[in-house]
Amino acid sequence: MQCTRKVTEDLYWVGANDKRLHLFESAHPIEGGVSYNSYLLLDEKTALFDTADWSVGKQFLENVEYVLDGRKLDYLVINHLEPDHAASIGEIVLRYPEVKVVSTEKAWLLMNQFQFRIDEEKFVEVKEGDSMSFGKHNIAFVAAPMVHWPEVMVSFDTTDGILFSADAFGSFKSLDGALFADEVDFKGEWIDEARRYYTNIVGKYGPQVMALLKKASTLDIKCICPLHGPVWRKDIPWIIDKYVHWATYTPEEKGIVIAYASMYGNTMSAAHILASKLHEKGFHNVKMYDVSETHVSFLISEAFKYSHLALFSVTYNLNVFPAMQNFIDDMKRLNLQKRVIGIVENGSWAPQALDLMAKSFDEMKQMTVLNEQVSVLSSVTKMTDRELDGLADSLIESMKQDY
Amino acid sequence: MLFSTTEAHEEFRAKVRKFAEEEVKPIAFKLDQENEFPYDVVKKMAKLGIMGIPYEKKYGGAESDVLSYAIAVEELSRVDGGVGVILSAHTSLGTYPIAAFGTEEQKKKYLVPLAKGEKLGAFGLTEPNAGSDAGGTETVAVLEGDHYVLNGGKIFITNAPVADTYVIFAVTTPNIGTHGISAFIVEKGWEGFEFGDHYDKMGIRSSSTAELIFNDVKVPKENLLGKEGQGFKIAMATLDGGRIGIASQALGIAQGAFDNAKEYALERVQFDMPIAFQQINQFKFADMAIKLTNARNLIYTAAEKKQAHVPYGMDSAMAKAYASDIALEVCNDALQIYGGNGYLKGMEVERAYRDAKITTIYEGTNEIQRVVIASHILGKAPKTTVAGAKDKGPITGVRKKIIYAKGTAKERVDQLVEALKGDGFDFTVGIDPMTPIVDADRVVSAGKGIGAKENMKLVEELAKQAGAAVGSSRPVAETMKYVPLDRYVGMSGQKFSGNLYIACGISGAGQHLKGIREATTIVAVNKNKNAPIFKNADYGIVGDVMEILPLLTKALDNGQPKKPAPERVKMRKATVLKEPSHWTTYVCDGCGYEYDPAAGDEEGGISIGTTFEALPEEWICPVCGEEKTAFVEVEKYSSKEEK
Repeated sequence: MQCTRKVTEDLYWVGANDKRLHLFESAHPIEGGVSYNSYLLLDEKTALFDTADWSVGKQFLENVEYVLDGRKLDYLVINHLEPDHAASIGEIVLRYPEVKVVSTEKAWLLMNQFQFRIDEEKFVEVKEGDSMSFGKHNIAFVAAPMVHWPEVMVSFDTTDGILFSADAFGSFKSLDGALFADEVDFKGEWIDEARRYYTNIVGKYGPQVMALLKKASTLDIKCICPLHGPVWRKDIPWIIDKYVHWATYTPEEKGIVIAYASMYGNTMSAAHILASKLHEKGFHNVKMYDVSETHVSFLISEAFKYSHLALFSVTYNLNVFPAMQNFIDDMKRLNLQKRVIGIVENGSWAPQALDLMAKSFDEMKQMTVLNEQVSVLSSVTKMTDRELDGLADSLIESMKQDY
Repeated sequence: MLFSTTEAHEEFRAKVRKFAEEEVKPIAFKLDQENEFPYDVVKKMAKLGIMGIPYEKKYGGAESDVLSYAIAVEELSRVDGGVGVILSAHTSLGTYPIAAFGTEEQKKKYLVPLAKGEKLGAFGLTEPNAGSDAGGTETVAVLEGDHYVLNGGKIFITNAPVADTYVIFAVTTPNIGTHGISAFIVEKGWEGFEFGDHYDKMGIRSSSTAELIFNDVKVPKENLLGKEGQGFKIAMATLDGGRIGIASQALGIAQGAFDNAKEYALERVQFDMPIAFQQINQFKFADMAIKLTNARNLIYTAAEKKQAHVPYGMDSAMAKAYASDIALEVCNDALQIYGGNGYLKGMEVERAYRDAKITTIYEGTNEIQRVVIASHILGKAPKTTVAGAKDKGPITGVRKKIIYAKGTAKERVDQLVEALKGDGFDFTVGIDPMTPIVDADRVVSAGKGIGAKENMKLVEELAKQAGAAVGSSRPVAETMKYVPLDRYVGMSGQKFSGNLYIACGISGAGQHLKGIREATTIVAVNKNKNAPIFKNADYGIVGDVMEILPLLTKALDNGQPKKPAPERVKMRKATVLKEPSHWTTYVCDGCGYEYDPAAGDEEGGISIGTTFEALPEEWICPVCGEEKTAFVEVEKYSSKEEK
């Protein structure tokens, strides 16, 4: 049975939700599920924009069949070839053998690599600046390389002002019947998952996202249809502003993310002491995480959101504790920049974590490690307590500055 | 062929030797003792016609040969190494680049008076971070309309501040290393061109050596020597020739010591015999003579090759390295022959011993000479990459570098005081101004910019109001003797690790800065806006200490006697947010790889420091193979600008 929604007069959402998947990309936990969005345009010609993951293939195919209502499918526009959107291409081609697949040159190469088996004569290659008319609707194609993958393009319906934005403006969480961002509590319930999606999936490619946003700023966008999460038809400047922050690695808020790696609780205690001091001194925008208990994708999302980090790590086999090192490495992999960081180490015979953490940040862009570094020997003493106080002062003091 | 000088050369030698013996020798000890430049001697050298020996007559020179020039330096140095280097620096460093690379107009205007000896020349390449490695040059020249604006400074410049004409090397295209350096002719007296330290040297004390300071010096476009970017080439070509001069100087110093020792050893009798005939001394003389002859042959060979316009770079490097190495050995042996008598001031051999040392160091250390020689033999060494070597940052660590430049002097002082109070400094407390530097929480230090001794009052009064002890830079204690020796701050002196350091008229030599690394807050007052101290300070006021110090003293004076300072508590250093890299990076649209000039692309044969623009067209992404055209510039965003 179909489960579709109308986006505009002649555009339908034909995607599907997955609430059973535990790890998106086998990497990121998604307790709230995820949606795979696909859109079907009914014009003089029919055009399907992207497909869906094979895990929801049955629902997706039923939806397409239902909306087509006996018409043939003329075009399949592929904006992004990653299998969570492209896995059902083969099935679509089997069911609608006359369909022409429209995408970029690089997408063609990838389709062959993934063995989706498209006949060459059925493939229409488009590039930046090309457009196609499906009748009433004119679709312009805009290259968006590395807005996650190199083959990516976005499609813009110049007739209705609809942007098919591929992975951009996507989010974790399944739609659960909703379609538009204004139908859910996006700023409350969704924003954290949207941020976690963006920062972990596309975070590294800030410069390319900014390049796309620059191109998009010349378009009169009335509606954004992403491949995951809800469709945007209201408040578009608000979500674009978030993207500008993330893509330029500018914090959304002045605040401190405390993350600690503690084996027996002493380092955790130090973290709590710092947090208490911060509140005591009147600074309340503080979040605290145990890196061993928190999936790194959440830590990354918080690191993108807030201006400051306070990292506490024990020394483990003469190195930074693995979970903490993974967090730091992930920040580096995702190109995070322009954060102010306080660091605290713990060690019982040869503390090493401070220097190693400082060195890691030195290799990143504009990561400022505060001078007030605290080295705890096993447990916090009067002396290190005073140093933590200095670190708290320094964290608060440095809030006055912007990159 | 007979390996020998001509009769004409020996006649010329006799003429210069006579001059040196008559005009220089009688005053040499005084010049050395008093660190005095022999103005009259230089004038007389002009009269003698030896200030432009190798240059064409039509440009005021003697149109003689390079060998004669070498002989002249040798003979002058035989009597006084300082006078010898005056001629060497003038002829081969200050004059040669103009003769070899100047336009007709430049030659008429500058070469003629230099070659005639009416004016004295000098050469400015060395900087604190550009010694053997000219790639570290930080002096910059920016073209603005019909002139370049020169900013920066040079150190250890022979003949400064006496010289009238300076050939100066400055960066015109940043970040591309030595290819971005250009040469300029700069005249003494131009606005913004000043002299800093006059060095108190170990030897060659009759030659003058000073620091050059350029503050927005306008250099007319027509004073660019050669083309933009040719500076390094010009410098290297000049130094190739300059080495003949320094080799001759070393030879002359050694020859003088040898001649003196010989005379002494033949007269001095011990064990009933002139000591010259003790076998151990016979052998010394034999060895010294071998070395002198070898050195002379190397030098004259290089000179003759230069004269004949055949490649001589390796020969002059060999001559310089060898002559200066053996000069030390010969002077050492000569002094040893003198015994205790040679160890006394006033003995020529004592002066020669000190004078000789510089010759293994300047105009390319002997280590660099060996690099030059090896490169002639073996070719260029394969490129090695030293990551990050160029981005060392200031010596005192990352500092705030807030320079108050706007408003009246009083307004600037008030802004500074407000900032210091905001940082938590309490100026109602004070300490004994003679508190040892290492124990003091605050220090007000005087540099040479303080001027006359009575100005130390200004420093003392400021120290009192700032609750600080009095300190100084090394020359103020050591040479000028304004404060006891145990009050100078620096790597070799006292180290300051307290909370507030106010540097008054201190330019910021590396050794001084290393002594204040641990200071929480550094304040600089200096009239030279390009002084290195400002890059190493948290706060700075560009202005005359005579004007700023009294204002600052007044602003800190609360009208009450200072309360005793509490126990010293180390304050927090300022947080300075990391600045973006000065490099522009590019990302690949095919994979996201980021090209960073700071890293280069070793596998692709791209050395560190290569800008994206400078990458060859055929260069491809080292990760995915996309072409150069698939890269986009990474723009830098700052939220500061929005506010």
